Amino acid sequence: MTASDVLALLVLAGLTAYTVLGGADFGAGLWDLTRNRRQRDLVVRAMGPVWEANHVWLIFVLIALFSGFPGGFAVLSRSLTGPLSIALLGIVLRGAAFAFRQYGAPHGGPPVRGTALWGRIFAVSSLITPFAFGAAAGGITGGTLRADGSAGLLRPFLAPLPLVSGLLAVAACGFIAAVYLTTDAYRSGEPELVVRLRARALASGAAAGALALLALPLLPDAFADRLAWPAVAVSVVSGALALELMRRGWFVLARVAAAGAPAGLLCGWALALYPWALPGETVISPAPPATAGLIVGVLTAGLLLVVPSYVFMIRVLRADAD
Amino acid sequence: MLDDLTAAREQMAFSLSFHIIFAVLGVGMPWLMLWAEWRGLRTGDTHWTALARRWSKAVAVLFAVGAVSGTVLSVEFGLLWPEFMARFGSAFGISFTLESFAFFLEAIFLALYLYGWGRLSPRAHLLCGVPVAVSGVASAGFVTTANAWMNGPVGLVRGPDGELISTEPLGPFLAPTTGPQVTHMVLAAFLCTGLAVAAVYATAMLRDPAKRDGYHRRGFAAGAVMGLSLAVPQALVGDWATRAVAEYQPAKFAAMEGVEHTEDGVPFSLGPWEIPNLLSLLLKFDPDARISGLDVVPAADRPPVAITHLSFQVMIGIGVALIALAAYTAWAWYRDRRRGAHPADRRGLLIAMAVAGPAPFVALIAGWIVTEVGRQPWIVYRVMRTPEALTSQTGLETYLYVTIAVYLALSVALVAILRRIAAGPRPTTERTLEGSAA
Repeated sequence: MTASDVLALLVLAGLTAYTVLGGADFGAGLWDLTRNRRQRDLVVRAMGPVWEANHVWLIFVLIALFSGFPGGFAVLSRSLTGPLSIALLGIVLRGAAFAFRQYGAPHGGPPVRGTALWGRIFAVSSLITPFAFGAAAGGITGGTLRADGSAGLLRPFLAPLPLVSGLLAVAACGFIAAVYLTTDAYRSGEPELVVRLRARALASGAAAGALALLALPLLPDAFADRLAWPAVAVSVVSGALALELMRRGWFVLARVAAAGAPAGLLCGWALALYPWALPGETVISPAPPATAGLIVGVLTAGLLLVVPSYVFMIRVLRADAD
Repeated sequence: MLDDLTAAREQMAFSLSFHIIFAVLGVGMPWLMLWAEWRGLRTGDTHWTALARRWSKAVAVLFAVGAVSGTVLSVEFGLLWPEFMARFGSAFGISFTLESFAFFLEAIFLALYLYGWGRLSPRAHLLCGVPVAVSGVASAGFVTTANAWMNGPVGLVRGPDGELISTEPLGPFLAPTTGPQVTHMVLAAFLCTGLAVAAVYATAMLRDPAKRDGYHRRGFAAGAVMGLSLAVPQALVGDWATRAVAEYQPAKFAAMEGVEHTEDGVPFSLGPWEIPNLLSLLLKFDPDARISGLDVVPAADRPPVAITHLSFQVMIGIGVALIALAAYTAWAWYRDRRRGAHPADRRGLLIAMAVAGPAPFVALIAGWIVTEVGRQPWIVYRVMRTPEALTSQTGLETYLYVTIAVYLALSVALVAILRRIAAGPRPTTERTLEGSAA
């Protein structure tokens, strides 16, 4: 295993963390589209402390990608310009809108004008971003993209596979978010919300499963042959387990299982893709070995510092969530 | 119609400028916040604690906008300049990798700081602010090393025919302008933050004389001391940075100073004035020394002179004015202290400080224009030209307009909310609100 392979695994680890943690924050936006005020308050309470740290995983992935695989990063930037721009727009609007909505009335009283509108923008942009990322992944898989970006800005993504994978990403984010929020509602003693959110978790989980099944026959044969089936099996089992645990009301365990479903799918996909940036078109050209080795060292040392800090933060801030 | 290269450059300039305004506040504000909280803990002075809480809310909103606008930049590098990233992404990879971890720690400990007021012991809470303050400075430093490398690329591994094979990973830390550029940037962050904070309290005290109380005076003083005390050091570091440019990027230096032709005994121009032989004296300590003009490089390699020169002059002018303001404030403070008065009772000083608030931000942007426009036509100095780095996608003008529209909307909302944070009731009376508003 070369330094580049380790680096690719670290990128995948970061991508998985972003999907599971950042994805839950995007999914929360789906459940913010409601008239139920208590549910919207729960979303703010649950996301407020953690979304920025979760968002850094995306920056981690981007930086590890362009440092470790500069050629691949350039190819992906060129061929995914359309969906990446849309995702970016969603990221900016989502983050800023959430902060504006949260601090619109910093000392109580009526909020600053426009705060309600930012609340809506938060919810809608939370859906745009995972859809765009999902469509980008579908576009890569479909094999119609060209390394020089000549396949078009948006046209390659208006095909069945990218559209299904975009929807799958939204459903998966909604599922993880609903599972996490159910636990939070349970912890803060809001039985009504537990019932509401549990129903939403079951529905979105079923939708995500159905979309994943729908995507399978759309995969090009060459890609399907390379799919890492053990990882996909983890995804299927975790998803089914999470649904069952939710149904029985074992929320804390359901959290772990729910994270396994998208994580398994993502890993199965990424392992099939590697070492290609665009399958059959361009490989993900790595940085010089000396640089790759040093980046692996820095990333490992950094993660040893960051992961315990993150866990400490979660423990402290959850301590009196009731 | 803008051509794609111009549109891409304008978009980069616009998104960097937008980001950097929030980034500098994100670097500086945590230090003020920590200072205020520490003073409150040490002395039991509730005004300081109240200031720390108020500032922490502003930091929360500013950090969110800074974080997302920073993400935009890291994606834009690839979207707009894929050739540049393909060839040099790993050259400054270590800088950005380190920056991402600094950013991680900043986000994690800022969350602990913002949401931990009631959940951590006062001491533990204060300690959580330390990584926020340190990693903010570290992020700014790491990112600036990447830019310094673009201005003075080192560690290039070339083949027998001079073609570029690869790059050494630690180049950004060894680039000749890294030292002065990083120092200049970090000081600029503190200067901007200090003067912006002082201006907020100066304005409040001017509008409503009843507000000339302990709370506003402390906020004013903390910002003024942080900002003004750095005016002179920043000028000295600026001098260091300018000498580095003169040595390693003579064309940029010539554009900054507006020197067309290589000559002996070059005058120094500031605005409409020209002082004979001063530039030679300043740079080489010899009034008759030879200064390289733009003609040291072929016409195709020269940066745009007018904008580089004007921006440099704006930065120098603001720097000189801030030194004068610092001197006047120090004198006023010394006089008033002996009489038992407070400088905040001087209306003139308050007006000057209120006006001075935006000035360092103008200087900051002007300074970056000097750095970036002065490096043109190169994206990596003498290695890669900017047009070579451009994406093959077209229609970049649309991206520019969308970016401008979105950022304008964000600015309007942000200003409205920051004003509300500044104008609300004192945070001492709302101890429990943190939890419920969270």
